[in-house]
Amino acid sequence: MAVFQAALVNEVEKLYKKKKALIAVLLSLAVIVIGQLAIVGVRSGFGLRGAGSVEFPMLVLAVVVNTILPLFTALVAIDSFSGEFSQNSMRITLTRPVSRFKIFCAKIMAIVLFILAMLLLLLILSMLVGVIFNTNSGTLHSFVMTIFSYLVSLLPMVVLALGIVLLANLIKSGISVFFVSILVFIVLKVLGLIFSQYSSLFMTTQLDWYNLFLINSFPVGKIVRQFLIMLGSGIMLFTAGFYLFDKKEF
Amino acid sequence: METIIEIKELTKLYGNGRGIKDINLDIYKGDIFGFLGPNGAGKTTAMKIMTGLIRPERGDVKIFGYSVTEEYELAMEKVGCLIEIAEAYTYMSAFDNLKQLARYYPEVDYKRIDEVLELTGMIKYKHEKPKKFSLGMKQRLGLAAALLSRPKVVILDEPLNGLDVEGMIDIRRLIHHLAEQDQTTFFISSHLIHDVELTCNRIGVIYEGKMLNVESTPNILKNYATLENYFVSEVERNGRVPSSAR
Repeated sequence: MAVFQAALVNEVEKLYKKKKALIAVLLSLAVIVIGQLAIVGVRSGFGLRGAGSVEFPMLVLAVVVNTILPLFTALVAIDSFSGEFSQNSMRITLTRPVSRFKIFCAKIMAIVLFILAMLLLLLILSMLVGVIFNTNSGTLHSFVMTIFSYLVSLLPMVVLALGIVLLANLIKSGISVFFVSILVFIVLKVLGLIFSQYSSLFMTTQLDWYNLFLINSFPVGKIVRQFLIMLGSGIMLFTAGFYLFDKKEF
Repeated sequence: METIIEIKELTKLYGNGRGIKDINLDIYKGDIFGFLGPNGAGKTTAMKIMTGLIRPERGDVKIFGYSVTEEYELAMEKVGCLIEIAEAYTYMSAFDNLKQLARYYPEVDYKRIDEVLELTGMIKYKHEKPKKFSLGMKQRLGLAAALLSRPKVVILDEPLNGLDVEGMIDIRRLIHHLAEQDQTTFFISSHLIHDVELTCNRIGVIYEGKMLNVESTPNILKNYATLENYFVSEVERNGRVPSSAR
C-alpha cells in the first residue's frame, strides 16, 4: 500500500507541476464568468430572469460536462500515458520497486482526482457566483440535488477517461490519440441522436446521466441500468488498458 | 561467493533477427562487471530485461533470488539503474526529480538527496530544471537517481555518455569507492573499452546475442596487452566461425 501511495503522490505532483492543470482551472473560471455575463446580458437586455442562484450551477454543469471537462480529461490522460511514452520518462518510474499494476492504478487514480477536483471547483465557484449575482431561488432540496448532480457526473467522466487511456496505450502518438478521441466523441454523440432508443449504451449520452436524478418520479430501474452499463464498460476499458500497458516495451 | 544476479537461458529475439539467445551469467557480490559487445550485440536488450522494461521470451533474471518477471518489486528493492539515456522530468527541478524517486524508499530523506547530488557534482544545480542541462549534467543526475536508495546492485548502461574526462574520472572513482566500501555490485555496459578496463574487475563479451566469454580483468591482462586486444580477438574468433557451426 505504501508503494501505491508513493506512486499516487508522485502522479498528483506531476499533474500539479505541469501547466495543464492550471490552464484547466483558469478555463473553468472563464466558463463561469462568461456564463454569468451571458445571464446578466439576457436579464438586462431582454428582461428575462435567465437563471436563479441554484439553476446557474446546473447550467454550468450541463455545459462543462459536454465540453471542457472531457477535453481536459483527455489532455490529462494523454499526457499521463502518451506524453511519458514519447519522452521516455515512463522509465523513471518503471525501474523503481513498484509493479506496473500499481503504476497504472496510480495514474488512473490521479486522473480521477483531477476530474473530481475540477467538478468540485466548478460547483463551488458556480454556486458562489449564482448566489452573488442571481435572485435567490434555492431550497435545501435543490441545493442538495445540485451537489449530488456534480458528484454523480464523476462516474461517466471516469469511464470516458478509461476509454482515452485505452486509446493512449493502443496508439503511439499523443496527437493521434487526441484526434481519435474527439472523433469517437463526435461519432458517439451523433449515433446517440440517430439511434436514440440505444443512446443509453453510448458513453457520451451517459455524461448527462445526472439528469435522471432530477426527475421527480426518480427512475430507480433506469438509474441502476445506467450505473451497471458504466461499471461494466469501465471494468472492460480498465482491463484492456492495463493489458496493453503491461505488455508495453520501453 | 554470493550470487547477486543470476541470468538463466535469457532469450529475446526481435523481428529483424537481433536480440539475445540463451544468455547464462552469474554476477557475484562486489563484482564490477563490464558488459562488452559491438553495437547491436544485445547489451541494452539484456539490461532492459534485467530492469523489467521488456519481457523475455524465455529464461529469467533473478536478483537476490527474486525473479524480475514474477516478483518485480522484491527484485528491484535494492537495485539502482540507469538505462540508455538518463531521463528526468523537465518541468521539475533536479531536487524535485529525486524527491519523486525518494518516495519509493522509506529510508531515503532530503539529506540523502543532497548527498547524492553532492557525490555526482550536481549540488549547485539542485534547484534548476533539467530542461537546460547538458547531456553530461543529465547523465550525472541519472547517476544520482541510480545511487539514491543506497542500492546493493547498480545496473548502468553507458553511464559515461556525454561526460567529460573529469566527469569520467569522478564516476570511476565513485564506482570503486562504492564497491570497496559498501560491497556494491555493479553491472556496467560501455563502449569506452579503456574505461571498462580501468573500472571493471570482470568482463563478459556478448556478440550477436550470445555470451562469448566471461573472464576476470587481471586474467585477461595476463594474456593480452589491453582489453581492446582481448575484445577484438574474441569477436574475430567468433566472427570466423561459420554461422551453421554456431
